[in-house]
Amino acid sequence: MSSSRDDFTIAVRSALLQKGTRHKFSLFFLLSLSVIIFFLDIKEFTFTSYIRSTLNDLIYRVSNVATSPARIFAEVNKDIKNVIFVYRENKDLKKELNNLRAKDFEVEFLKNQNLNLRKTLEAEKNIENENTLAKVLLDKDSPYLKSIIINRGSKSGIIKGMPVVDGNYLIGRIVEVNFLSSRVLLLNDLNSRIPVTFGSEDTQAILSGIGGKQPKLEYLPEQYIPEKNVTVFTSGKDGIFSPGIPIGKTIIEKDDIVVKLFSDPNQLSFVTVQLIQINNEDFK
Amino acid sequence: MRFLFKNFRISVLNSVPLILLYYLSISEIDTQFSNMFEILSFNLQIIIIYYWMLKDENVIGPGHIFLAGIINDVVTGFPIGLSAITYLIVSFVANYVKNVTVNFSLFTDWFTFLLAIFFSNLCFMVFIQNFTDLQFSYSDIFYNSFFTFIFFPFFWTIFNLYKNVMRLKND
Repeated sequence: MSSSRDDFTIAVRSALLQKGTRHKFSLFFLLSLSVIIFFLDIKEFTFTSYIRSTLNDLIYRVSNVATSPARIFAEVNKDIKNVIFVYRENKDLKKELNNLRAKDFEVEFLKNQNLNLRKTLEAEKNIENENTLAKVLLDKDSPYLKSIIINRGSKSGIIKGMPVVDGNYLIGRIVEVNFLSSRVLLLNDLNSRIPVTFGSEDTQAILSGIGGKQPKLEYLPEQYIPEKNVTVFTSGKDGIFSPGIPIGKTIIEKDDIVVKLFSDPNQLSFVTVQLIQINNEDFK
Repeated sequence: MRFLFKNFRISVLNSVPLILLYYLSISEIDTQFSNMFEILSFNLQIIIIYYWMLKDENVIGPGHIFLAGIINDVVTGFPIGLSAITYLIVSFVANYVKNVTVNFSLFTDWFTFLLAIFFSNLCFMVFIQNFTDLQFSYSDIFYNSFFTFIFFPFFWTIFNLYKNVMRLKND
């Protein structure tokens, strides 16, 4: 019994401390170093944040270059598909354009009406946003975290929490800012929570990522009857996002209401960051 | 000149697993196929580390594993050091198995790989749950580990063939 325990201890010690002929460090040393780095990183000291920021910028650039051949292949594949389906797409787009032209007058009328009502209420100020266009450097689809890296950072005035849109549609928010790059947490990530509003009764809910392709609506009113194909917008209740940014349409799946996003998170090339003034204390 | 070229060719051939490990860590190319099949994802880095630490530790050393882990953390957005810890745990199990095992076969390697996955995931979850605010889906972790385990024999066979090619060229 004692002998087998000794054997186990010797094998473990050897596995941890033994260095190979060509190796400079033992596993024990590297494991201890990793643990120290991990704790320094999560404690977010000023000097570690600075080191991490520099390291991030450097690795994102290298990663962008390393993945460019695969990116070109994906682009070519996409272009071929576009050419094949161009006739059908053209027909569909013409039909959609006619519908949109008809809706345009309706929107203009509603916009004017909304402006007049706001003037009457004097309650809300119009939010004028400054935007910055950013290129997607990386969109590694990790099984655990759904995020993208963009080529704009604190140098371009980006700070944590800013909303990110693809065209007019919300896709996520900034969660990490480096000097030359930032990380955007996508709406379908498990850690994403956005206050939203939808429907004719202005129903309020929280859009939560569930890790899959489509986020779901949570904290709905008790008496709410699920409706499909309703457009979901940001409510702006958090004071961070502008109200009325379109997100997607509702779909009913079993007992849940999920949202089919207008913008596919896997097909992003360029995105826009809305440079909204945010009270930093809310994010600390 | 011919001798130099031969040496260069051999060193490139011996470095392919290491290059693959770094490339998988730094690039956005990964083994996540959620577009085709929602739950299909596996961790090829762990298979590479386990196989080569078990069979020939001179191909992938712990220093490179540590560095690949750090790079992977930056690219995927984990707290820095987390992937390095899980990769080094896998290396530790491989080292331990190598110390206590006399006869190696696909089945012994496959079975012991399960222990490596278990301990690396255990560490991953302990660190994530206790020291960060990040939320993870347990089912995603389970599916990823399950498919990593299932695909091990396939990659084991490929790496074994490659190892034979390396041996032939070295001779």
